Amino acid sequence: MYMELNDANLQTLTEFLRKTLDPDPTVRRPAEKFLESVEGNQNYPLLLLTLLEKSQDNVIRVCAAVTFKNYIKRNWRIEDEPNKVSDPDRTAIKANIVNLMLSSPEQIQKQLSDAISIIGREDFPQKWPDLLTEMVTRFRSGDFHIINGVLRTAHSLFKRYRHEFKSNELWSEIKLVLDTFALPLTELFKATIELCQTHATDVNALKVLFSSLTLISKLFYSLNFQDLPEFFEDNMETWMTNFHGLLTLDNKLLQTDDEEEAGLLELLKSQICDNAALYAQKYDEEFQPYLPRFVTAIWNLLVSTGQEVKYDLLVSNAIQFLASVCERPHYKHLFEDQNTLTSICEKVIVPNMEFRSADEEAFEDNSEEYIRRDLEGSDIDTRRRAACDLVRGLCKFFEGPVTAIFSGYVNSMLGEYAKNPGENWKHKDAAIYLVTSLASKAQTQKHGITQANELVNLNEFFVNHILSDLKSPNVNEFPVLKADAIKYVMIFRSQLPKEQLLQAVPLLISHLQAESTVEHTYAAHALERLFTMRGPSNTTLITPAEMAPFTEQLLNNLFKSLALPGSAENEYIMKAIMRSFSLLQEAIVPYIPTLIGQLTHKLLLVSKNPSKPHFNHYLFESLCLSVRITCKANPATVSSFEEALFPVFTEILQNDVQEFLPYVFQVMSLLLEIHSNSIPSSYMALFPHLLQPALWERTGNIPPLVRLLQAYLEKGGATIAASAADKIPGLLGVFQKLIASKANDHQGFYLLNSIIEHMPPESITQYRKQIFILLFQRLQSSKTTKFIKSFLVFVNLYSVKYGAIALQEIFDSIQPKMFGMVLEKIIIPEVQKVSGPVEKKICAVGITKVLTECPAMMDTEYTKLWTPLLQALIGLFELPEDDSIPDDEHFIDIEDTPGYQTAFSQLAFAGKKEHDPIGDAVGNPKILLAQSLHKLSTACPGRVPSMLSTSLNAEALQYLQGYLQAATVQLV
Amino acid sequence: MPTKNMTDERLTKFKNKGKDPAKLREKRITECVELRKAHKSESFLKRRNITLSSLPDEDALSPDYTSNEMVTTLSIEDIIKAVNCECKESQTRGCQAARKLLSQERNPPLKEIIDAGLLSRFVSFLSMDDEPTLQFEAAWALTNIASGTSWHTQQVVEHGAVPAFISLLTSPMLHISEQAVWALGNIAGDGPAYRDVLIECNVIPALLSRISPDTPVGYLRNLTWTLSNLCRNKNPCPPLSAVMQVLPSLIQLLHLSDKDILSDACWAISYLSDGDNDRIDVVVKTGIIPRLVELMSHKELSVMTPALRSIGNIVSGSDLQTQAAVDAGVLNILPQLMRHPKASVQKEAAWALSNIAAGPCKQIQQVITCGLLPPLVEQLRNGDFKTQREAVWAVTNFTSGGTVEQVVTLVQCGALEAIINLLQVKDAKVILVILDAINNIFMAAEKLGETEKLSLLVEELGGLDRIETLQNHDNDTVYQAAHNLIERYFGDVSV
Repeated sequence: MYMELNDANLQTLTEFLRKTLDPDPTVRRPAEKFLESVEGNQNYPLLLLTLLEKSQDNVIRVCAAVTFKNYIKRNWRIEDEPNKVSDPDRTAIKANIVNLMLSSPEQIQKQLSDAISIIGREDFPQKWPDLLTEMVTRFRSGDFHIINGVLRTAHSLFKRYRHEFKSNELWSEIKLVLDTFALPLTELFKATIELCQTHATDVNALKVLFSSLTLISKLFYSLNFQDLPEFFEDNMETWMTNFHGLLTLDNKLLQTDDEEEAGLLELLKSQICDNAALYAQKYDEEFQPYLPRFVTAIWNLLVSTGQEVKYDLLVSNAIQFLASVCERPHYKHLFEDQNTLTSICEKVIVPNMEFRSADEEAFEDNSEEYIRRDLEGSDIDTRRRAACDLVRGLCKFFEGPVTAIFSGYVNSMLGEYAKNPGENWKHKDAAIYLVTSLASKAQTQKHGITQANELVNLNEFFVNHILSDLKSPNVNEFPVLKADAIKYVMIFRSQLPKEQLLQAVPLLISHLQAESTVEHTYAAHALERLFTMRGPSNTTLITPAEMAPFTEQLLNNLFKSLALPGSAENEYIMKAIMRSFSLLQEAIVPYIPTLIGQLTHKLLLVSKNPSKPHFNHYLFESLCLSVRITCKANPATVSSFEEALFPVFTEILQNDVQEFLPYVFQVMSLLLEIHSNSIPSSYMALFPHLLQPALWERTGNIPPLVRLLQAYLEKGGATIAASAADKIPGLLGVFQKLIASKANDHQGFYLLNSIIEHMPPESITQYRKQIFILLFQRLQSSKTTKFIKSFLVFVNLYSVKYGAIALQEIFDSIQPKMFGMVLEKIIIPEVQKVSGPVEKKICAVGITKVLTECPAMMDTEYTKLWTPLLQALIGLFELPEDDSIPDDEHFIDIEDTPGYQTAFSQLAFAGKKEHDPIGDAVGNPKILLAQSLHKLSTACPGRVPSMLSTSLNAEALQYLQGYLQAATVQLV
Repeated sequence: MPTKNMTDERLTKFKNKGKDPAKLREKRITECVELRKAHKSESFLKRRNITLSSLPDEDALSPDYTSNEMVTTLSIEDIIKAVNCECKESQTRGCQAARKLLSQERNPPLKEIIDAGLLSRFVSFLSMDDEPTLQFEAAWALTNIASGTSWHTQQVVEHGAVPAFISLLTSPMLHISEQAVWALGNIAGDGPAYRDVLIECNVIPALLSRISPDTPVGYLRNLTWTLSNLCRNKNPCPPLSAVMQVLPSLIQLLHLSDKDILSDACWAISYLSDGDNDRIDVVVKTGIIPRLVELMSHKELSVMTPALRSIGNIVSGSDLQTQAAVDAGVLNILPQLMRHPKASVQKEAAWALSNIAAGPCKQIQQVITCGLLPPLVEQLRNGDFKTQREAVWAVTNFTSGGTVEQVVTLVQCGALEAIINLLQVKDAKVILVILDAINNIFMAAEKLGETEKLSLLVEELGGLDRIETLQNHDNDTVYQAAHNLIERYFGDVSV
């Protein structure tokens, strides 16, 4: 399709773009659909570019820019779909986009810059050879608006050098970039610094120049990341001298009044700290002459920088730099002087560990963010984390002196607190924080020894300073200290003696009622962590019996805390509920009738607008646990769960709540599997809906839906054949869709195997041949190891279920001699690759049947394959699994990435037992082989031994004789 | 450095217990694109202005032979005139002036001399056996030109200098022969193509015939350097037949005591052993390993470095080849080299160790017995980044192939703590290799039923924090490896 670049089309496109901004979905959606439907047309991207450049309406310009960026993001890289961007369009885009980007206002420039980096990721450098020179030419333009556009684009093109693996391809690209870019960048750097001096009093000019310097510093980081390039080694003097100069520079004009947002000066300096840290870490030998200067500069920077939030990134980067340097043996001398150490502790560490008013605000008003930083280690850029790392770094060589300095501090801060707790509680907070950071250091050094270092005895500190806060009757007083105390228990749970933990449990339970979100969240989290601890015999450290006195209170408070303001979807609480169920097991059964109501009510609420994936996940896990634990004690109760859950599930299915469908299917599977060999009609009513193609379009649905269908087949194969036979083609349609995909073919086989195993044979007779033809088509179009493995299991299951003769006949009915080809080309050479004990067993039994129950193997041209097949079977028994994968095959092994598929959220507590379709019918396949061979040999005396003696290799023969002996049979 | 394929291969096996240890060994891939400056420790590809050892006394030559500034003032034009003149005396004078001009330290006028069309004249002078001084001056001038860029060398070769220099090797005048050795060394050092041209012209027997008990040490030094250049370069490697020809003499040279000869002979061996296992085999079969191991503790860095490099190459070979080095006592020397003051030596030693650790558990046991674990952990803790990177590979290889007991020993030596600390390095590959090692250690713990204990230990060592942080890593593979570890060993849900 081709769209003219004319006014009419521009007009139409403008209209539709405008509609995509409409808040009303009935207007917006069709417009989005329309744009999607025309995006494959030639000239579409050029129309967008024209609009974003020339439209009179600024809103349309920005909208066109965003639409263009998204279009490039979706379509530039050609994956399996047909190429949607025509070659002329590609060429035209590349020819114009840089100019367009540079001449656009900033809002549009950002979008186009992103688009350039997406295109660059694919096309640069080979298919876009003039991009770099085009950009470098702009450096000479003197217009810093343009220069910054170029620098920003370069940054988005080069920043991947910071995280990609070394490869010849990558390094060739970097080399090319260095050859064209490094010198002009260096010249620009020097020129910009000079301009800063010329314009030292012009604040607007300075702002632009400092953004350039920041971008240049970022580019420096990217270009130097993989290895130290020759150019930068030769020009280290220029770069480092200027970096050093910038670090020590202060310009009143660039200071901002904003307390929160980092200013240009801060951004530039923190990038320079990063650059220095990179060199110190990776290019130490070359950087050594410069390092002491940087230590001094950064040290001075730290001492003179204020407590405001806007300095956080700078301060944490600066501290991180010192932390990484101080643990290097040859820089030890820079720190070892007692005065230096004291000064670092006093002026850098302690001030940055203090609880600031900004922290206090976050604690009260932005608890989620506070928790994420404090608990989940996303405090990477915080001052506290950096200060902790510096403490640890210093302890590497100076543990004694540092400990001595800090114990003084801890004692004096605790003393201050004792004098006036109401006024000085922050001192105690800082003391606890210091202890925490120092003590975890001690564990690392003493390698698992549970006592802390000389600074503090963890247990004593717990008894003297922590327990009091936990025991305080008013849970709402000093919430920060309460949270500190709870966190202390959590962090040192492995170091504290069990009796202390048991003493803490009821206290923690009562803190679930605290008003402070942080406090009750920490209580839930601490309980959850304690419940996962393992005791000496690998059972949980805290037993259900020990919990008995608190069970009711625990469950009550957990559920009540979900009603506290701000915690309606608190994932820590929900996780604690799940963990409590898991720990308490049968002890929860009496409470379940009440609790299940609360859980389903919660589910109904969150399904309106699922926004907290973790909360929802634990909610479903808790539901699964309720079902499992209760039905384990009494399977008949499954119907009461169905009664409670099905109405909500129906609503979720009807409203197509995509996030929840995979969960619902898993819970339904769990429920259905509890039924003993019959399928309730409520499930049957749902069966046709499960086959709807739309459901199978979403990859996240596939694994749980397959499992659910397997449960249907297992419990209701006969029912389906009897009352829903017209649905069998639909079922096979699902199989056909799955089998066509490299990623999902194993799921297709799961389904197929269940059909073979559980459907009455006559119900699928008419479809069998078509099934095999589909499999052959896939074998021919794209043969992967995973497919072969699944195929082998299926073929052998077929032999087990329907008999070897049926197997041979169906192959040969597709094409004469086909069975021989399958044996020769697939089964014999590949069976060694089959993995998994059940899968191997199926193959062993299936092959045994082919060897011993298939007349065609004895008397036709297939006979020559008999010994090789036997040999392959003995190999399957005796040789290690062949896990080699052809080089050209990108192996998609779902099992290798448990739970990784983003859209599929596997529920651990909905887990399925491994199913063995052969079961106890065959205990030992080797014995079965011996017995079957014996039977065969008595049917045609003399044949078997002669075939064995002529072509079976000696080693295999020896193994076989072992099996015969074990089965106490002899071949005749 | 590991190749990309190597890592991909390792990744596909990330979770497999039965790893093929041979695949963990990494070869040195010299055809890798490099961003850094060329290695300072390597021997020079081409040399200009070396001193001839066999230079006759000054007065045996023409009066103005040596660096007598007075006669060097001929202009290029005068030189051209003189060289093109039919008179031997002015030819000699012109050659000499050209040679001196070409010997100047800064910007010798290589191109000007070539453009003046003097090369064919110089080459023709080479065969004038009755004019030794002219022969010598022309040889020297050509040598200096050949020491330039590839283009310069190419001009020399294309003017037919190769056969002329080879026949000059047999000159009865030692200094002329030595000049030819030097010129050929420069040509061989240009790259595999000219190296093989020389080999085709039978340069090796011609060179080797000059080795005798009476050959002066200085001459031998130059000859050894030229031989080493004939062994140098890959893509392709020198022909096997040439290698077989040169090896016996190299082995002989390696038993001398002159440090320069030893250095270049070791470099030669290091080039020959830098290849696939068949190439390594040829070296191993000479029985030179014990001598190389001995030279690894040579007091001269210039000898020890290439000896270490050679042994490093050999232990990147098969288990058998590695075992030969182990039997020769390499593991007794490595600890001191791991603690050598020079970072480049530490790095090479760690690289060798990482390859030995990729062997079967019997070799790993020898690594433990010979006390390599403490220096390994020291390097992980305090080493230069390049050394740390090799040390991390050593840990990963060790944990892939080692027995459960061996892995436990490694952890007890502090390796786990050390690699966890390194999870903050700014190098995605190193991080991935560490995650792989942690995964291996967990698999060992699984066999002991101590997964929980290890999870706890990793958490206490700050590892969990770091691995969790890596789930935000921009590199997908790193993210996924971190995620898998968390899922598998730190997952909260245990049924």
